Amino acid sequence: MKQIKLQKILFLIVLGIMTMIYIGPFLFSLSISFSGDKNVFEWPISFLPDDATFANYRNVWNELPFGKWLFNSVLVTTIQTISNVFFAALAGFTFARLEFPGKNIIFTILLSSLMIPGIVLLVPKFIVLNELSLINSYGGLILPGLVSVTNIFLMRQFFSTIPKDLEQAALIDGCSYFRIFWEIFLPISKPALAAVAIYTFQGSWNEFLWPVIVTYTEDMYTLPLGMASLRHELLTDWPLLMAGTILISLPTLAIFIIFQRYFVQGVSSSGLKG
Amino acid sequence: MRISYFIVLVTLCFSCSNEEKNMRFSSWQSSQTEEKIVRETLESFKKVYPEVAFDYQPIPGNYTEKIQLMLGTGKAPDLFWLKGSTSPAYMSFNVLYPLDSLISATPEFDVDDFFPLFKDAFKYNDTYYGFGKDFNAYVLFYNTEMFEEAGLTSPPTNWEELVTYATKLTKDTNGDGKTNQFGFVVEPTIDMLMPFAYQNGGELISDDNEIKIGEPAFIEAFDFYINLYRTGIATIPSNQGAGWNGDVFGRKQAAMIISGAWLIPYLKESFPDVKYKVAELPMGKYKATLAFSTAYVIPKTTKHLDDTWKMFSYLAGKKGMKEWTSSGIALPTRKSVALENGFYQDSIFSVFMKSVVYAKLYKIDLKERWFDESEAAMQAVFYKGKEPEEVLKKLAKKLEKYKLN
Amino acid sequence: MKFSSSKKEQRFWAYLFLGFPLLLMSVFVFFPIAFAFVVSFYDWNLLIPDKPFVGLGNYFELFKDEVFVKAVKNTIVYTMGVVPVQTMLSLFLAFIMNQKIVGIAFFRTAFYIPAVTSSVVTSIIFVWIYSKPGLLNYILDTVGIDSNIDWLTNPSTVLPAIMVLNIWTTSGYFMVSFLAGLQSIPTTLYEAAKIDGANQWRLFKDITVPMVRPVTYFVVVMSLIGCFQVFDQIFIMSSGGPDNSSTTMSYYVYQNSFKYFRFGLGAASAVILALLIFTVTAIQKKYLPPDYY
Repeated sequence: MKQIKLQKILFLIVLGIMTMIYIGPFLFSLSISFSGDKNVFEWPISFLPDDATFANYRNVWNELPFGKWLFNSVLVTTIQTISNVFFAALAGFTFARLEFPGKNIIFTILLSSLMIPGIVLLVPKFIVLNELSLINSYGGLILPGLVSVTNIFLMRQFFSTIPKDLEQAALIDGCSYFRIFWEIFLPISKPALAAVAIYTFQGSWNEFLWPVIVTYTEDMYTLPLGMASLRHELLTDWPLLMAGTILISLPTLAIFIIFQRYFVQGVSSSGLKG
Repeated sequence: MRISYFIVLVTLCFSCSNEEKNMRFSSWQSSQTEEKIVRETLESFKKVYPEVAFDYQPIPGNYTEKIQLMLGTGKAPDLFWLKGSTSPAYMSFNVLYPLDSLISATPEFDVDDFFPLFKDAFKYNDTYYGFGKDFNAYVLFYNTEMFEEAGLTSPPTNWEELVTYATKLTKDTNGDGKTNQFGFVVEPTIDMLMPFAYQNGGELISDDNEIKIGEPAFIEAFDFYINLYRTGIATIPSNQGAGWNGDVFGRKQAAMIISGAWLIPYLKESFPDVKYKVAELPMGKYKATLAFSTAYVIPKTTKHLDDTWKMFSYLAGKKGMKEWTSSGIALPTRKSVALENGFYQDSIFSVFMKSVVYAKLYKIDLKERWFDESEAAMQAVFYKGKEPEEVLKKLAKKLEKYKLN
Repeated sequence: MKFSSSKKEQRFWAYLFLGFPLLLMSVFVFFPIAFAFVVSFYDWNLLIPDKPFVGLGNYFELFKDEVFVKAVKNTIVYTMGVVPVQTMLSLFLAFIMNQKIVGIAFFRTAFYIPAVTSSVVTSIIFVWIYSKPGLLNYILDTVGIDSNIDWLTNPSTVLPAIMVLNIWTTSGYFMVSFLAGLQSIPTTLYEAAKIDGANQWRLFKDITVPMVRPVTYFVVVMSLIGCFQVFDQIFIMSSGGPDNSSTTMSYYVYQNSFKYFRFGLGAASAVILALLIFTVTAIQKKYLPPDYY
């Protein structure tokens, strides 16, 4: 009995240390973001700043084009998320439920494109967008991320598990496939749609490499790019930088905590069947 | 739903292919002070030329890459700053607008008013492509309080004194066994090493396009430079958690640093209690320092040439430059402005004016990658403990590849 | 299909539904894949209108470029260092999370937070932690280890430091994958083994590990692909320095394409990276297949 108790205590200690490792850095960054002293390198490093202040958060808003970056991030993320959910569901439905010539070939091509590392597409995608005069425009930021194969695949897997007789009654009634999709399939696939939405949201909110390449004026930057561009300039103003990073993290964090359940579902379904 | 989607897409595509209506001007943003002065100068421009409609679009972070992208995609701003160090590559790409005809049509622009060092700085194949908006030069900043404490009355004037002074000024002031006040700060970047190389009679690339960085004069200078660090009388910014040497100086962790005039507004704003003076760089075999100049240039693709030239000739002209440099953030490339602004009398700025007489311009006739290769070499010496001789000789070979035609 | 909406009708709807997604995919995925190869055979500089065909010239140049060779080496070291540790750590975390403890949801959230946070944010925070007077050295100093290292400018620590950051960020994500796998293991298996007198370690080794093998396969593949392409952290934290000690292939692609503007060389190095990823995942599939047991 005693041994089990000891084991349990040890286990809790390990758990505690691990937790500190995983969230400690965020707590420190939170603490620095409230620091009134710009020199964050004074040892001993104290966890609670002596002169806590909201000034850094105010300055992020007033001194940086934070509002504009926020707008860009929200615009890009919203459009990409809606688009991904809609088209992934539509395409997933098509692959799971409709028969048409070339279905297998198209699906195989789609799947194999998953094997191509994104970095290969960097240069050609840039040249294509340049030909379309879309560099440094919302079009250039948004268009390449409107659909994703992973999401289509996820939705197809989900729809495949739904029994066939579901749509048959509707077909007898002469419903079009779009109505079947819209009125029967979409309503029952909320968890899968939520998973796609959350993943797309997170990915597009945090996206860094593509905005780095496709934008060049400050007013087109998204939040991560904006903050990263200040990394060298503000190296002497860590509290401001940290306040900015905290602000960027809040939306993903909030969504994650609220919709945790779907996150877990999404990972497991893509994980097990991938 | 789908329909609204397409509408969004279509509007997006339309909105982005819109022609730019106004003339656009871009600069980098190295500090908020600088941005403020840019905006003020533009306000004065507006008063003189109210008919010119323009947009100011500063570019924070990765300036060179971004400007390059804009040039490559045909969307460059009509007027922008070009770093002198990489300007030859751009001029060789044939993407900039040749200015000769504009200059001859505008006699009041007065090209001969520029200091000799800067007049032809942005000339390539006998064509003018830009003019220096201002200049800066490396000089020595020293903390007068620390000097007094160490019993030193004047700044070092040569390499030997630099070493002895720095040694005296390196201390452990709080007695924790670690040095917390350094005599000097070195940075692992090529441009801070170059003044030492020039002082020793070396150079990176000669006028007739020969790579000289692997020769003894340069190597000796690097040996001297790195030994300041290795003997512990100089530190590097990252060792102090600082972004650059000005930060180290401001925090009173170093008694002397090499910097340009950009340090002055920074100290005033962030570290007003630091007491310092400015002196010419200590000399080696020769007196030498490095001068920086950034040019205003116009891309070939501009569609607002008239408006752009108005702004160009104002900003690089006598009036605009006078206002821009009166803040002291940088120094004028025009003789008349230097006189009018009283830079020869000012105890700080006169040092820069003296330095410009013997300064060499930081402008390297190599493809852009020369810089990263050189930085890597500097880092190999600083962080990997390699010897300058080995590293520079290797670098010299590599740089051969980056010659411009 | 039994129910006969006509084949024709199905075909109509299918093409209608797939039309827009396929159009986008063609423009932004399929065409660029092919185009990448084409570009890699040209000396393609956006600033110079003349774009001469150079055949395999770019590829030859790459292998003569010391920086590229370093980048390949760094990328391999990075991947081979991160993937195993990350996989084992995630499995370990999932194993902990699968215990019945009060407040387990809190811990799961805590481990997952780095995975949902922007790489820019985590990188910036770790720049502070890794700097010479930063948190890491402070902690080491407090426990009596005198480490006077600037982790990100020291050539021997910069890559490991970024590797640790990567392990830290993504292990939570893979933990959830493993957790799903663990939860699908029938408890009867464990009970039967317990009756046979197996201890915790045996349970883990003989039941858990083989049962989650498909998940492990997935995690390793994802982790490999991610690591081979690491970019954000390098870009923000070290810019590939010092002396290219942390230049990875992705960063090399970026630098050559968008800094030196040599699109052809950039495309060629990306193609080589893709081939490398293919080879490694193929080897993995051959020697460590998902359904070994």
